Amino acid sequence: MEEKLLHIKNNALSMVLQAKNTKELDEVKLQLLGRSGSLTQAFKLIGKVPEEEKAEYGRLINETKQIVEDALQSAFDNFKKQKIKYQSSLDVTDPAILPPLGHLHPVTQAIEEITTIFERIGFTRVRYPEIDYDWYAFEALNFPENHPARDDWETFFIKEKPDLKKGPQVLIPHTSNGQIRELEKKEFPIKMLNIAKTYRRQDDISHVPMFHQFETLVIGKDISIVHLKGTLDYFAKSYFGPDRVTRIRPYHFQFTEPSFEVDITCDVCKGKGCKLCKEGWLELGGAGMVHPNVLRATGVDPDTYSGFASGFGVERVLMMKDGIKIDDVRIIYSPKLDFLEQF
Amino acid sequence: MNIKILDSWLREYLKTDATAKEIAKALSLTSVSIERVEPYKQDWTYDIEVTTNRPDLASVNGLAREAGAVLPQQELNANYLPLKTKTVTADGKAKLQVENNPNLVNRICAVVMEVILQPSPEEVKDRLEASDIRSINNLIDITNYVMRITGQPTHVMDYDRLGPHLKIREARKGEEITTLDKKTYVLSGGDIVAENKNGEIVDLLGIMGLENSVVIDQTKRIVFFINNVNSTKVRKTSMEQGIRTEAVQLNEKHLDPELCEEALYLGIELYKEFAQGKVISEIIDIYPNIPQTKQVTVQLEKINRVIGIDVPTTQSIEILTKLGFTVEQKGETLIVTVPTFRLYDVGLPEDIIEEIARVYGYHNLPSKLPLLNTQQPKPLVNVFYWETRVKHALKYWGFTEVYTYSMVSENLYEGPLENAVTIANPLNEDLVYLRRNVIPSLLHVLSENKQREHIQIFEIANVYDKKENKLPEEIRFIAGIVKSPHTSFFTVKGYIEQLLKDLGITDYEFRPSTENSDGADIFLANNKKVGAIEILDENLIDFEMNFDLLCEFATLKKMYIPVSKFPPILEDISLEIPAKIQTGEVIAEIKKQNSLIKEATLLDRYEHSRTFHIVYQDENKNLTNEEVKEIHNKILQSLHNKWGTREK
Repeated sequence: MEEKLLHIKNNALSMVLQAKNTKELDEVKLQLLGRSGSLTQAFKLIGKVPEEEKAEYGRLINETKQIVEDALQSAFDNFKKQKIKYQSSLDVTDPAILPPLGHLHPVTQAIEEITTIFERIGFTRVRYPEIDYDWYAFEALNFPENHPARDDWETFFIKEKPDLKKGPQVLIPHTSNGQIRELEKKEFPIKMLNIAKTYRRQDDISHVPMFHQFETLVIGKDISIVHLKGTLDYFAKSYFGPDRVTRIRPYHFQFTEPSFEVDITCDVCKGKGCKLCKEGWLELGGAGMVHPNVLRATGVDPDTYSGFASGFGVERVLMMKDGIKIDDVRIIYSPKLDFLEQF
Repeated sequence: MNIKILDSWLREYLKTDATAKEIAKALSLTSVSIERVEPYKQDWTYDIEVTTNRPDLASVNGLAREAGAVLPQQELNANYLPLKTKTVTADGKAKLQVENNPNLVNRICAVVMEVILQPSPEEVKDRLEASDIRSINNLIDITNYVMRITGQPTHVMDYDRLGPHLKIREARKGEEITTLDKKTYVLSGGDIVAENKNGEIVDLLGIMGLENSVVIDQTKRIVFFINNVNSTKVRKTSMEQGIRTEAVQLNEKHLDPELCEEALYLGIELYKEFAQGKVISEIIDIYPNIPQTKQVTVQLEKINRVIGIDVPTTQSIEILTKLGFTVEQKGETLIVTVPTFRLYDVGLPEDIIEEIARVYGYHNLPSKLPLLNTQQPKPLVNVFYWETRVKHALKYWGFTEVYTYSMVSENLYEGPLENAVTIANPLNEDLVYLRRNVIPSLLHVLSENKQREHIQIFEIANVYDKKENKLPEEIRFIAGIVKSPHTSFFTVKGYIEQLLKDLGITDYEFRPSTENSDGADIFLANNKKVGAIEILDENLIDFEMNFDLLCEFATLKKMYIPVSKFPPILEDISLEIPAKIQTGEVIAEIKKQNSLIKEATLLDRYEHSRTFHIVYQDENKNLTNEEVKEIHNKILQSLHNKWGTREK
């Protein structure tokens, strides 16, 4: 039996080799694997094989069939290749048949890039409520009671009875509520990256009522301004490219002391000063050393732990990328596919 | 707020060889952002962004004092030449009585003067106009000129129109006023006003003068009036009425009441010089709320720990002293007395450290990454991981991601409005309710792209569920829409199935929709409804799922099953089946018959017949035709018994 199979196999392979074109090859295929083909017949012989040899015969004949089928396939492939080679009518400039390809929103792309950069230096991304109590959005962040951000003109309030301890509910005007929520967990050291939707009562060329911020918070022992500079430099160079230079300069925020604003060199004038920028610089966002009152509000001892925080606008860093040229933040929230498909 | 100041004006109070650009750069790096330096005639203007905590820098004198402190640290020579005013003692015949309310006004300085109204000299006009302040006449220009030098808003009124009595009080709800620009406002109550003897409101303190007391062409006698007002009340009135004068922007920032006196005497000098002014009343100075002096103690060690390098103590003391602080060193601590113009801003050791660090220069500090080498490991897979994965899958299936607002109008809100998370102070009626589902927003996007025949869009965003006495529950949803001529339910079902597969979710089921719509509900294990597919019309199908729930079920776990050495046997069975029997039920029934049935799928459907493709396979041996035949018959029998099906 084995010999017979070997014979069928050798015979089959030589038939495949001798075929001169696909038409002949089709005939060979029929002779081997067709209803009355030699291999098909060999399968039917299994009934006549003694019971104890059946398994071995089955294995062998399947193997033979596989070898013959592979040989046929590769012979077909060879003919096909030749055909393409000599087909003079192939116009390679005709349109391709494209696989589907959609688009991720530019804000998503920016968030993914920002996340990758900070994760490389050990930050962990978190998410906290978008609707939060005044306590998290303002009070614990050291905002005085009559601070303008806490009034009806700048922040959206939710129609709901205020909580007796935590105050009214607001749509978060910044991602800094994440600082309080993170500190409350008391798992030190902290290297937090909080990215979220944020809301403010505004709508003009440089403001939209809903936007995104990314917030860093680093808390440990002996964290200083030097580390804040290092982290923000790392981010800016990774995100904007090694040619852009950043600087920090004094600013004022309630929840940090000292507070900084972070600037980056303008990519239009390369830092020389032009209409779009301020003496060669563009503002990236705010940062600072976490205010001791913020640490105290969450029960953290400011004499043991210190740290820094930063809060930047996702749309803002996106708009400041080299060459992107979006000059109106409202465009980013355009529902037009003609816009979205550019990304 | 931004203010503009002429370079030559600044140099009246600052002696330095530094150029305007050098001054701007040094101040930006260490103090206040000089956003632009622009040529103005033969001069330069500084455009300065003053932060809310430093109203003292919204003035020529304050800026010169600051520059005098910071420039030398940047290797530029500079000396501050402080503003000096002469006090006046006067005992004129004109009477002015002011009745103050100390809850509303912290200090009032005022005087009555005889003056001559005329245009201001060119230099005054130039300096004001470079500051974007319109020159009107000498009487009004002087108030603005004093404000720019001292940072204290001042006000002038016609003494003869006003009368000799002023009473400071809170406005009552509904009281009407007309400002000097002839606009009428209705007050909401609690606003700080002054009324005269006749009970007429003659001033809206801290915000703007009124038409009935403003100086006019015939004015001969003026009241020069300066007040330090309650910042919160001024801001409230200003925001309610939409009046955002420079005076308001200063007064709402807790100005130093000491400035009132300085401004008064400077103003008197200027009225004498430019309006032939004569003081004809006593000097009025009502000062009920004198601020407390403040001392802050700072450990030298802490200064270095926060800044991250060692700053020499002598340098720290020099910086603070030039900024106007008084410093005493006691061992390893500094005891710092805060000047009156920084009382509202400085009160903690951290504040003192900031003063030292910024003037030392942040740009002079090194950059280092924080090490924190005791960090806890975090799991690889979380909701962010799945979100990214799903977004990318959809992208490569041709979907475009959109971002729409979380807040929607009444029209786009689905469900009873009384259960909606509602904004108490919406910006406009399009953005009032926090949405409960995402589809209406996606339909809106569709309506903005009407000309497109084929659209595939999706969004992953929070929806908001109101909770009694708690924060609303924020649930992440994924929603999408497929618009295409004659699109199919099964195309959308296909996206969902492949998504679930990619999330590692194998236990799911599609059931006919229970809502009043065509489509299907999607269930996960334990009968958990995760979402739905909805056929809106023959060209439009949407889907929406609870993404947080998907993430709970999602897994990266894979289990290896050895690939069978024995070939499968394939078979197609065609059956006549009543239309009301669902394919899913039939397949479940087929699979139930024997564990050797590895797969059963619908291959084709034509009128009343359906063809099922069945794969038989035994992991341990070759199946015989007889064995297959037996299972085949069992299938036919059970389907026949259950639904009366027949093989074709």
